[in-house]
Amino acid sequence: MNTRDIVLIALFAAITVALGLAPRIPVAFLPVPITLQSLGPMLAGAMIGPVRGALAHVLVVLLVALGLPVLAGGSGGLGMLAGPTAGFIFGWIIAAFVTGLLCRTWTVSGKARPSKWADVGLTFIACVIGGIVVLYACGALWLAFVAGLGLAKAVSGVAVFIPGDLVKAAFAALIAHNVRRAYPIELK
Amino acid sequence: MTGTLYIRGHSPLHRIPAGIKLAALCLFGLALFALDNWIVMGLAAAVSLGLLASTGIDPAQARRQLTGPFIIVAFLMAATALLVDPLLGLAVGLRLMALLVAGYAVTLTTPVSAMLEVIERLFSPLDRIGLVSSAKIALSVSLVFRFIPVLIDQARVIREAQAARGMEKNILALLVPLIVHVLRSADDIAAAIDARGYPPAHGANRGNAHEHT
Amino acid sequence: MSVVRFEQVVVEREGRISLRIPDLVLEERHIAIAGLNGSGKSTLLRLINGLVLPSSGRVTVDGIDVAREPRAVRRRVGFIFQNPDNQIVYPIVSEDIQFGLKNIGVPKAELPLVTAQALKRLGIEHLAERQSHLLSGGEKQLVALAAVLAMAPSTILFDEPTSGLDLRNRNRVRAVLMGLDEQAIVATHDLRLVESFDRMLVLDGGEIVMDDTPVAAIGRYEAHYA
Repeated sequence: MNTRDIVLIALFAAITVALGLAPRIPVAFLPVPITLQSLGPMLAGAMIGPVRGALAHVLVVLLVALGLPVLAGGSGGLGMLAGPTAGFIFGWIIAAFVTGLLCRTWTVSGKARPSKWADVGLTFIACVIGGIVVLYACGALWLAFVAGLGLAKAVSGVAVFIPGDLVKAAFAALIAHNVRRAYPIELK
Repeated sequence: MTGTLYIRGHSPLHRIPAGIKLAALCLFGLALFALDNWIVMGLAAAVSLGLLASTGIDPAQARRQLTGPFIIVAFLMAATALLVDPLLGLAVGLRLMALLVAGYAVTLTTPVSAMLEVIERLFSPLDRIGLVSSAKIALSVSLVFRFIPVLIDQARVIREAQAARGMEKNILALLVPLIVHVLRSADDIAAAIDARGYPPAHGANRGNAHEHT
Repeated sequence: MSVVRFEQVVVEREGRISLRIPDLVLEERHIAIAGLNGSGKSTLLRLINGLVLPSSGRVTVDGIDVAREPRAVRRRVGFIFQNPDNQIVYPIVSEDIQFGLKNIGVPKAELPLVTAQALKRLGIEHLAERQSHLLSGGEKQLVALAAVLAMAPSTILFDEPTSGLDLRNRNRVRAVLMGLDEQAIVATHDLRLVESFDRMLVLDGGEIVMDDTPVAAIGRYEAHYA
């Protein structure tokens, strides 16, 4: 891992943190407002690849553990890593990894450019699988464990957030595609 | 934003070394998950609240930090109580509260540099394989803090330029140039870091990030 | 003062030769490198501290091969980048100065003193506890210079140090440059900055086309390229 890798990892950790600072969108009946922060792992995986994207989110978890208010709403601290949303926070690491792995496998950066819609479409699917399916599995598993609910009930509980995250995945795919056109970068 | 959750003070929790607090918190968590008895959870929650009070935190600030997670906990408690068993629901709610509050109390009384030192020590076996080093960790943490305000400023610059063209609602038009800018800087930043003698030769840099907080 | 030697250096990028320097020795105190964008100024500079490695040939600094021992070279050769935002790495100024010092093994007990001296030298001691991102462009450039000077290099490379600075800050940097004891090799468009330097090289298409005193070279440079 060279210096440039460290810089990219830190930059994408900073992006996830900065996304948490954007205003949250409260929705009437939900106990949790919708944040942009879950866009972070998808972007990281899609743009710097599985290993670096995952490490960026290990860094985010580290920042939370250090007691820095990097989670949406200015939260942080050890309590958050043991609380109900801990599955999602740790899940970002795996989400970024899976998204990155799929992007790297499917999209060809370099000379042989697939069509725009193939590139965006595949990236979108990668973001959905990594940033939603895998992430929610992690989040729901932890919730099921911690709340004593069955997995099925935990999943149906968090399912309400999925439509919003599908929109985020679409944005992530479009952003990744456009960024790659301006500045292609290998997916490590 | 560059503040931390840590508050200065002289409470007993402040004086206990970070490593011990972290280990105790882990044991506390393990114990709580091993049981389902609501009375035990209630006691644990009471103990946690007592610890929190001893830190000297301003109650309004504590309320601001804990309200969000507590609402989720209340939700989960209700769900478990209704769908599985009322007493289990109570236990679940009290357990989560105990963990959230105890974790918060430890975070409030442990400065970032102390926590960083503990984590670096925990990672030191990996250090021997050459995977992570305290220099890398300290540098990464500082880089994140160096770049968050830059990202925010850059975002504002881009946003203003777009507002002038009537595009301010467009999130794509904000994030794409922002990220391209960030990626372009990465090469130069890495070069600048290399040019200043990084990585340090054999453990020369046992630095702690954020010594000023 | 260091002696920088280029021996049959060629830099190739994507199949094309971007820089070719058959034979060059740099040992004067203040050396300017001019040329249009893309002429290879930055590349030449980066060959000296190993940020770019030659495709063939070699670069030595005081006899040390840059490609073989970049760390040893970087102990004596500092680098100031064009964009000061990209070189300040820590959120607080004093921490950033200390970063380089720690890397070269300065003992912890000496850090505050060495840091204070570095800032004092450029008259910016008052910036020590400021947040990096709140500094002006000129202040950032001076902090970056202080960070490099703190490492006591014998030579400092400057890549367009005044581009993007307003007139006042440009004059400030120029005053600092001229007052440096250390050897300075400066790549720049700003001819006023280097007019009293000891030597000026002009690059065009990756080759050195002029090598003279600034007085002589500037006149021809402006006549040729204006």
